[in-house]
Amino acid sequence: MLRATLLVLLLALASPARADDSADFGERLAACAACHGQHGEGVRGAEYYPHLAGKPAGYLFEQLKGFRDGRRASTSMTWYVRFADDAFLQRIAQWYAELPPRTRGADTGAAELTAERRRVAQNLVEHGDPARDLPACSSCHGANLAGLEPGVPALLGLPADYVIAQFGAWREGVRNGAPPDCMHDIAGRIAADDMRAIAVYLSQQSNVDGLRPAPAASFLPPRACGSLPHAQVAK
Amino acid sequence: MKTWRIAGLVAVPFVLAALAIGIFLFAQQGGLAPYRLPVDDGRVVAGDAATLRRGEYLARIGDCAACHTARGGAAYAGGRGFATGRGVIYSSNLTPDREHGIGAWSIAEFAHAMRHGVSRRGPLYPVFPYEYFATLADADIDAIYAYLRSLPASANVPPPNRLDFPANLRPALVLWRMLHYRPAPAAATDDNRGRYLVDGLGHCAMCHSEREPGGALASGGHLAGGRIPGSGWYAPPLDAKQLQRYPVEQLAAYLRSGTSDHGAAYGPMAEVVYRSLQALREDDAIAIARYLKSIPARRAREAAFTLLPEPQRQPEVAGDGAEIYRHACADCHGNDGEGKSGRYPALRDAVAAIAPDPINAVRMVLYGGFAVTTAGNPAPYSMPPFVQQLSSAQIAAVTNYVRENFGAQRSRLTAADIEAMHGIVLD
Ligand code: HEC
Ligand code: HEC
Ligand code: HEC
Ligand code: HEC
Ligand code: HEC
Repeated sequence: MLRATLLVLLLALASPARADDSADFGERLAACAACHGQHGEGVRGAEYYPHLAGKPAGYLFEQLKGFRDGRRASTSMTWYVRFADDAFLQRIAQWYAELPPRTRGADTGAAELTAERRRVAQNLVEHGDPARDLPACSSCHGANLAGLEPGVPALLGLPADYVIAQFGAWREGVRNGAPPDCMHDIAGRIAADDMRAIAVYLSQQSNVDGLRPAPAASFLPPRACGSLPHAQVAK
Repeated sequence: MKTWRIAGLVAVPFVLAALAIGIFLFAQQGGLAPYRLPVDDGRVVAGDAATLRRGEYLARIGDCAACHTARGGAAYAGGRGFATGRGVIYSSNLTPDREHGIGAWSIAEFAHAMRHGVSRRGPLYPVFPYEYFATLADADIDAIYAYLRSLPASANVPPPNRLDFPANLRPALVLWRMLHYRPAPAAATDDNRGRYLVDGLGHCAMCHSEREPGGALASGGHLAGGRIPGSGWYAPPLDAKQLQRYPVEQLAAYLRSGTSDHGAAYGPMAEVVYRSLQALREDDAIAIARYLKSIPARRAREAAFTLLPEPQRQPEVAGDGAEIYRHACADCHGNDGEGKSGRYPALRDAVAAIAPDPINAVRMVLYGGFAVTTAGNPAPYSMPPFVQQLSSAQIAAVTNYVRENFGAQRSRLTAADIEAMHGIVLD
C-alpha cells in the first residue's frame, strides 16, 4: 500500500516535470516551427519545406551540423544554426526525433503520373536497376520506406520538389553526407526523368500507420554508408 | 611653343604643392619605415605550455581564428572571403606551413605585420585589423606567434582575391594608407586593461565606429556607432549613455553569454560572442565593461540612414502597428516591450529600437534568428521569421511601432523600404 502510494506520488512528481521540460524545450524552437510546423510535422501547403518529426536523431543531427559547417547548402537553415554548438544541436535533433512521425502524404498536389511512369518509379524504388548498378531505395530506406536508425530517414510525405532538389544537390556536391556518401553515388545513377517520377511517386506515399524508423542494424544495406556504422563493411 | 612654356611655368607651383602634400601624407602614414621588412635578428620565442595557453587565449580574443578559418576548413588555414565595396578579399594561411603559411617567418617579421600591416606580400588590406593590433604589447605578440607556430601545418592555398582595379594592386594600398591610415602611438602601456582589450586586440571599433560614405573612419567617430561597411548591419555606439541600462556585471555577462535582459547579440555581434568573447576570463570581461561604461557619449552626428537608394516622396504607412504587435510579438517581447527574463530580450531601449538606423529591426522582423549558444546560455531561444507571415506593409507598420514606442525614434518605414531588404544575403 505504502509502496503503491509512493510510486503514484513519484510518478505524479516525475511525469509533469518531464512533460514540462520537453514542452519548454519546444518553446525554444519557435523559429523552426514557422517553416517545419509546431511539432515538426511540416507546414500546410508547403511546397518545399521538409517535415522533421520522427526522423532518426542521428540523421537530423548530421543535417544540422552540415548546414552549420557548410557540407549542406541552404541560406535560411544556415542562418539559424550557424552559432549553435554540437550539444545544443543534438538536443534539437533528439526533440524532433521523439515526436510522432508525420502521417500525411506531401501537401502539394504534385503532377499526376501516367500509369507507365508510376510503374517505372515504383519498380526503381522497390527493386532498383541492376543494369545501372542501382540498388532499390527500399534496401536502405526499409521495405516500408520508414527509414533505418541511426542514419537513414523515411521517404514518406516529402514534397516532390524537395526530393528533386536533394538529388540535384548531391550531384552538384552541395549536399555531402558522411563518407562514403552513398546517396551521392545513387544520385549519379538515376536519369533526370526517372528521378522526377520517383519524387512524385514518393510524395504520394504516406505513413498512415505512423511507423518509426527500423531499429539500428535490423537489416543490412547493400552498400557502405558513412552515416550507418553497421553498414561500413557491407558489400 | 611659347604658350607651352608659360603654361609649364604656371603649373610649377601646383606640381610642387601636390608633391609637398604627397610627401606630407606619406610621412603621416609612417614614412618609409613600414615598407622595410625587418631582418631576422635570430630571437627565439619560448614555446612553453604557459605561453602557448596565453597565446591561445589572446588569439581567441583577437578573433584570429574566426577570420582566418574558412567555413568547414582547417583552423587558421585561411580562405574565408570578406565582401568589401571593391570586391572580395580572402584571409591568409596562418599555420606553420613553410610555403603557404607563416612557417618561414621570424618573430620580427610577424610583429612587423601586426604593427604595420606590411608583410613579404606587400602592404596588407585593412580588413586585417592591424590598425588596432599595432598597440599590442611585445609579450602578447610573442605569445600569439608561439601559439600559431604550435598548430598543425596546413598547405591550404586561399583563393586569389577578386577585386576591382585599382584596388586589386597592392601598391595602390600605399595611396589608401596616405589618405586614411595614421599609425597608432607606440605600444600601449597596460594600465587600463579594458581599453587595451577594446581598442587593441578586440578591434571593437572596426564595427562600432562611425564611417564616412567611402568607408573610412569619420573623424571623432571612434566607437560612435554606424552601419558596418559591406555587411549591412548597424553597430551601436559603445559609451556610457548607450550602455547605461546595463550594470557593469550584466554587461560583462552579456559579452560572455550573448544574452541579457536588455538585448541579445545577433548578426555580426553573435559571431563575435560565439567565436571570441565567450572565452573571455571574467576579470577581463569586467575590465571591458568598466571601460565601455566610462567612455563619454559623443554628440550623435545627424546621419540619414536609408534602406532605399532614393527615399520615397510620399511615404505611406499601412496597417495598425500596435495591433500587429499584440498579435505577433507581445507573447515573447511583452505588451510593453519588457521581454521575458532569461528567454526573450526586451525591446524597450534595445539596440534595434533606439538606433538611428532601422536596418537591424527590419532584418530581425523579416528573418528572425536564433540566439548564440554559449556556456552561459547553453539552450537559447529563437525568433521566427515574419517574411512569409506578414505583408511588407505590415512589417513596416510593426517596425515603426516598435521603434516609436520602445525606442523614441521617429520611424516612417514603408512597404517599399521593407521590400528593398528582401532576399539580402544573411551574413
Ligand atoms: C525560413 C524557413 C526555415 C526555418 C525558419 C527553418 N528551416 Fe529548416 N529547412 C528549411 C529548408 C528550406 C530546408 C531544406 C533545405 C534544402 O534545400 O536542402 C530545411 C531543412 C531542414 C532540415 C533537414 C531535413 C531533412 O530531412 O534532411 C533540418 C533538420 C531542419 N531544417 C531543422 C531546422 C531547425 C532545427 C530549425 C530552427 C532552428 C529550422 N530548421 C528553421 C527552412 C527553414
Ligand atoms: C545504400 C543505401 C541507400 C540507398 C540504396 C538509397 N538511399 Fe537514400 N539515403 C541513404 C542515407 C544514408 C541517407 C542519409 C543521407 C545523409 O546522411 O546525408 C539517405 C537520404 C535520402 C534522402 C533525403 C531525405 C531527406 O529528408 O532529406 C532522400 C530523398 C533519399 N535518400 C532518396 C532515395 C531514393 C529515391 C533512393 C532510391 C532511388 C535511395 N534514397 C536509395 C541511403 C540510401
Ligand atoms: C576581421 C578579420 C580578421 C581578423 C580579426 C584577423 N585577421 Fe589577419 N588577416 C585578415 C585578412 C583578410 C588578411 C589578408 C590581408 C591581405 O591579403 O592583404 C589577414 C592577414 C594577416 C596576416 C598577414 C599574412 C600574410 O601572409 O601576409 C597576419 C600575420 C595576420 N593576418 C595575423 C592575424 C592575427 C594574429 C590575428 C588575431 C590577433 C588576426 N590576423 C585577426 C583578416 C583578419
Ligand atoms: C563584426 C562587427 C562587430 C565587432 C567586431 C564587435 N561588434 Fe559589438 N555589435 C555589433 C553589432 C552589429 C551590434 C548590434 C546588434 C546586437 O545588439 O547584437 C553590436 C552590439 C554590441 C553591444 C550591445 C549594445 C547594446 O546597447 O545593447 C555591445 C555591448 C557590444 N556590441 C560590444 C562589443 C565589444 C566590447 C566588442 C569588441 C570586443 C565588439 N562589440 C565587437 C557588431 C560588432
Ligand atoms: C517566439 C518568440 C518571439 C516572437 C514571437 C518575436 N520575437 Fe523578436 N526576438 C526573439 C528572440 C529570441 C530574439 C533574440 C534573437 C537573436 O538573438 O538572434 C528577438 C529579437 C528581436 C529584436 C532585436 C532586439 C535588439 O536587441 O536589438 C527585435 C527588434 C525584435 N525581436 C522584434 C520583434 C517583433 C517586431 C516581433 C513581432 C512581429 C517579434 N520580435 C516577435 C523572440 C521573439
